[in-house]
Amino acid sequence: MSVDFKTYVDQACRAAEEFVSIYYDTMDRRRRALPRLYLDEATLIWNGNVVTGLEDLANFFEMLPTSEFQVNMLDCQPVPGQATQAQSTVLVVTSGTVKFDGNRQHYFNQNFLLTTQPTPHSTVWKIASDCFRFQDWASS
Amino acid sequence: MEARGRRYIPYAIPSYRQRIYSNKQNKTQINMVEGQNPPERRIQKTEQDVNFESWFKVTIPFGIKYDEEWLLNLIQSQCSVPFTPVEFRYEKMQAQFFVNNASTAFELKKISDKLLDNNNERISIFISASDVPHSLQKEVKSEKMEQPQIIRELILQPRMNKGYDVSQQDLNIYSNSFDRDMATYNTKMISLNPGKYVTTTLTTHEENISKMETSVEIEKGKGQTPEEMHAESDSFCTTFPDNSTSMNSILELFPKLLRLDGQASSRPPVFNTETHKKLPTCKGSYFGSEMLKDLILQFLQQYYTIYDYGDRQDLLDVYHEEACFSLTITHNFKEQAPSNLCDYLKYSRNMKNLKDPYVQRQLLKHRKCDIVNSLKVLPKTQHDLNSFVVDTWFQTEKMLCFSVSGQFKEVEGNSQGCVHVFTRTFITTHSSSSSLCIVNDKLFLSARPQEMENACSIPMLLPSGSEMAISQEQQMMQAFSTKSGMKWSEKDCQTNYLDYSRVVQALPHPKSKQQSHEPEHRK
Repeated sequence: MSVDFKTYVDQACRAAEEFVSIYYDTMDRRRRALPRLYLDEATLIWNGNVVTGLEDLANFFEMLPTSEFQVNMLDCQPVPGQATQAQSTVLVVTSGTVKFDGNRQHYFNQNFLLTTQPTPHSTVWKIASDCFRFQDWASS
Repeated sequence: MEARGRRYIPYAIPSYRQRIYSNKQNKTQINMVEGQNPPERRIQKTEQDVNFESWFKVTIPFGIKYDEEWLLNLIQSQCSVPFTPVEFRYEKMQAQFFVNNASTAFELKKISDKLLDNNNERISIFISASDVPHSLQKEVKSEKMEQPQIIRELILQPRMNKGYDVSQQDLNIYSNSFDRDMATYNTKMISLNPGKYVTTTLTTHEENISKMETSVEIEKGKGQTPEEMHAESDSFCTTFPDNSTSMNSILELFPKLLRLDGQASSRPPVFNTETHKKLPTCKGSYFGSEMLKDLILQFLQQYYTIYDYGDRQDLLDVYHEEACFSLTITHNFKEQAPSNLCDYLKYSRNMKNLKDPYVQRQLLKHRKCDIVNSLKVLPKTQHDLNSFVVDTWFQTEKMLCFSVSGQFKEVEGNSQGCVHVFTRTFITTHSSSSSLCIVNDKLFLSARPQEMENACSIPMLLPSGSEMAISQEQQMMQAFSTKSGMKWSEKDCQTNYLDYSRVVQALPHPKSKQQSHEPEHRK
């Protein structure tokens, strides 16, 4: 494993862990702030429902009931530059359980494509794409 | 003025309540604590003092049938917390009174229909959020309160780790668990545009603001844009001198309130209103276009044919030179993982519980040779293509990203016949030969006990020569194509690698707008 790749992996892991912690905390406790974690043109596919762009995302998250997420699995991989045209990109995958208000608990799988958005002060990771699905095979 | 009904309380009134209801104080102070407190002055209050300044009307239909003392005694005898009924009276056929905290209201709601009168008929209790009872309101108004512009919307979230189930249908106010001692509530200031956010509205008098230890208050008419107000609320600024209080400490105040109907305080909320939001309908696979659907389904069919029935070494050319692969397995039984999962456990990379960066790196397979070597040592499997649900979640000219969830069966060893659930996330690009190749491959496996009994819909693989293998493959694809609505040709059966060229040419490229042609075959 080349030194560069090792660095890349470490960076990806750190970004992923930090991001996941912020994301689910924001989702559960500060839902209104959630769209800020997305790029303007980001897309969410939520159980097969497609939501594109910040305004639609904001409306969508507004409509979702209050949530209580429990993340049991987190993994991430750096996405090689060839695919992403040299932009820093990380694939983050999570799994766990979620209880939406008024609904039963579900298992879920989620993956994010995170990409960097440099600001004057720091590198900010934002969601380019988000895919969320319940995984409820017992009842399917 | 002493609150009516006080004599019915068999328990001692806690001291903080006594302060509120003391007949030594004038009515002005009933809704305040520690007297004069203009909003800008910080008020020292305990959590308990603050917790209970939300009023609820308790209604007993046909309560006119019952004597006041008898009724209140009955209710108190069943209610697990002491309550102070305020302003008890009969209104037409019903009896009603007020209580001034959500916890009590909730307890009262719980005992509805557990109450029986002397004829063994049920007595129901209905709860609705309310303004301060009229008799207590009169002295509180001041000229400041004539300003109608202060509107705060609160969405309050209970601590999530307190399990306390609430019947949503019955109680229009509470929709989630909350802490009995009310010491841990979360308040979220969300917005001040009442037209936009209808879930929770609480109009308060300015004096009520002073009761809170910390408060986020933004006046509607200050000329701020929604963004500014939103930004302000998010940065937790307050009107009090001390801005260091975090939102979390604000959050310890209120029970969850939902759907207090009506922004105007004079309109009482309707009880038993349906309050909770609905989840969007779950839909099946999403591909984005027919072309992508063809492409991805064909890729999956070919990939899993090799993965399940062929030599996984043949997957070498499906992976990019710099590809990454990792897998994670989780299980949901409390006891040790049964033996069928052990094969995967040693490769499982879960950063939730794996903190050693060296091991994290080791478990991430990099470069196609390492990846294929890892795949080869994983147990043999049989994937149920009919169970696949695919999400195509990102696409550029260079990248195609999709996830597939489904079931598979172990076909050898101790775990033969065990069914698992998987989600596999692929990031692919196309190589110079126009076939899809995998840049990132993330496999997630989950086993749940109830899955063990389920039979896989595809029969177990029998030992076979190549002809048998192909015919089984054809059978599989037949099943798959029926399910997916696509037609597979024999030629497709024999291709080992996916042809990206069809899709590339069909995309709106400036250089080519040709229709798809016969796929090329690689040897």
